[in-house]
Amino acid sequence: MTDGLDLGLGDQARAIAAGDLDPAELLEDCLERIAERNPDLNAVIATFPEESRRMLAEAPAGPLHGVPVVIKDEWPLPWRAQRFGAADLLANPQPGESAPYRALRDAGAVIVGVGNMHELGSGSTGAISVYGAAHNPWDTERCPGGSSSGPAAAVAGGLVAGAVGADGLGSIRYPAAYCGLTGLKPTFGRSAMAGHHLAGVTQTIVSGALTHDASDCRLLDSVLFGEELPAGEPGALRIGVVRDPLWDDCAAGIAEACETALTALAEETDGEVREVELPQFDLYLPAALLVAQSEEAAELTPPNLNSLSPELSVINRGILKLRALIPGTLTARAFLVRALARRALAEQFERIDLLAWPSVAAPAPPLSDTSVELPSGPTSADASNARQGAIANLTGAPAISVPVGLVDGMPVGLQLLGPWGSDGRLLDAAEALERATDREFVELRPAAVA
Amino acid sequence: MTPDSPFQSYLQGALEIYGIDADEVERAVITGVWEVYEPGMRLLAEADLSSVESEIAPDLSQSPAR
Repeated sequence: MTDGLDLGLGDQARAIAAGDLDPAELLEDCLERIAERNPDLNAVIATFPEESRRMLAEAPAGPLHGVPVVIKDEWPLPWRAQRFGAADLLANPQPGESAPYRALRDAGAVIVGVGNMHELGSGSTGAISVYGAAHNPWDTERCPGGSSSGPAAAVAGGLVAGAVGADGLGSIRYPAAYCGLTGLKPTFGRSAMAGHHLAGVTQTIVSGALTHDASDCRLLDSVLFGEELPAGEPGALRIGVVRDPLWDDCAAGIAEACETALTALAEETDGEVREVELPQFDLYLPAALLVAQSEEAAELTPPNLNSLSPELSVINRGILKLRALIPGTLTARAFLVRALARRALAEQFERIDLLAWPSVAAPAPPLSDTSVELPSGPTSADASNARQGAIANLTGAPAISVPVGLVDGMPVGLQLLGPWGSDGRLLDAAEALERATDREFVELRPAAVA
Repeated sequence: MTPDSPFQSYLQGALEIYGIDADEVERAVITGVWEVYEPGMRLLAEADLSSVESEIAPDLSQSPAR
């Protein structure tokens, strides 16, 4: 098996372009590795070797020419409809050319598989899927994160060097943190979304890249954006931190790892860290949940809810029915809070460049028990993760999770959130952090892979 | 949450009014999920938002208009 498979996304592309790596061999090795490792990970729920070989045969000389990638089960492909990790999607998806598919195809990439995901995108753990749970390559008994569970596990497990996920309430950033990857939730509307069954109504969901480091994330996200995100220096970063609860209410070791990274980033950029406050922060999470759930509310009719597939998990059967019963007054207030949160962020970004806090409040929990223990008490990983991630989706602002070390042997991530349109600068900041830490954390690999 | 809690009463009535079927397990899930998020929802319901100006058709890709 070629070493090329263990190169980063950009290195693979450059080696292919230079004639040092045969993309046909790379593809076959990739398919072989998926067959070898995926039974332990369940990261990839569909492969289609003939379609992949056809993509390679027809691949243009783009920035990802010949590079294998995985795409989440959230968009249709010409030969396969998405299933959203579920037996019952409420919508009726059909195969087709989604925008992420076209972006990847036109960049010369080769889609080698579809990534598993948390059922209906409704959880942050990846523990529930019609295909069975995906497993974290760092410890296969633990959650890989969700809802982009398969894309993250596929990259961390060395099946591919890059994958396309989606983030509607942190669904790229949690799996990135749990699996030791870099994952960008782009500014709303900047990345390819067409073809997603909620593309016409969503104001929260975006596509985005999951890769080992920021350089590869920049490359794949540039493809999804349809424009290059040029690398640069982030400048002297003024970094704001919201201590309570985002730093203070984290499991042991999380805040310390993130604080060390934050200090290194500030020093690397000759920047500074300031404590800031976001007014009425406690309202952001319930508002984000309600804004997001309102996007598919039109499908939550009694006939639809009374004919849900018995193959849909009882958790999601209950969640969907609960959503149908949420009073409209609460949802209306959620949109007011969104306006409040967007103005509060904009005001902060007149004085600071970034906000920073831990991507997840605790390391990946076991698949068998997805609760976590925080200083405030035991809670579900979903609730604590959503608290850390919701603001980016509520407001449309971009955010990135970067790996900053291990806690109890499991990866954790630092989240950086920037002003609207600052996606490139977030990647610049992530690369500055990599320099400051001698790339220690982006080079970490699970023992089973290393 | 007690069997006769306000939420249980609401759940029972709302399911009946809307004609949504839910078995015991689904009702337990609904109750469990609501218990997790109820404190936040209660804060949202009770917050004074009277001074918050709504944002009409916001462009989520941009900073809000000043």
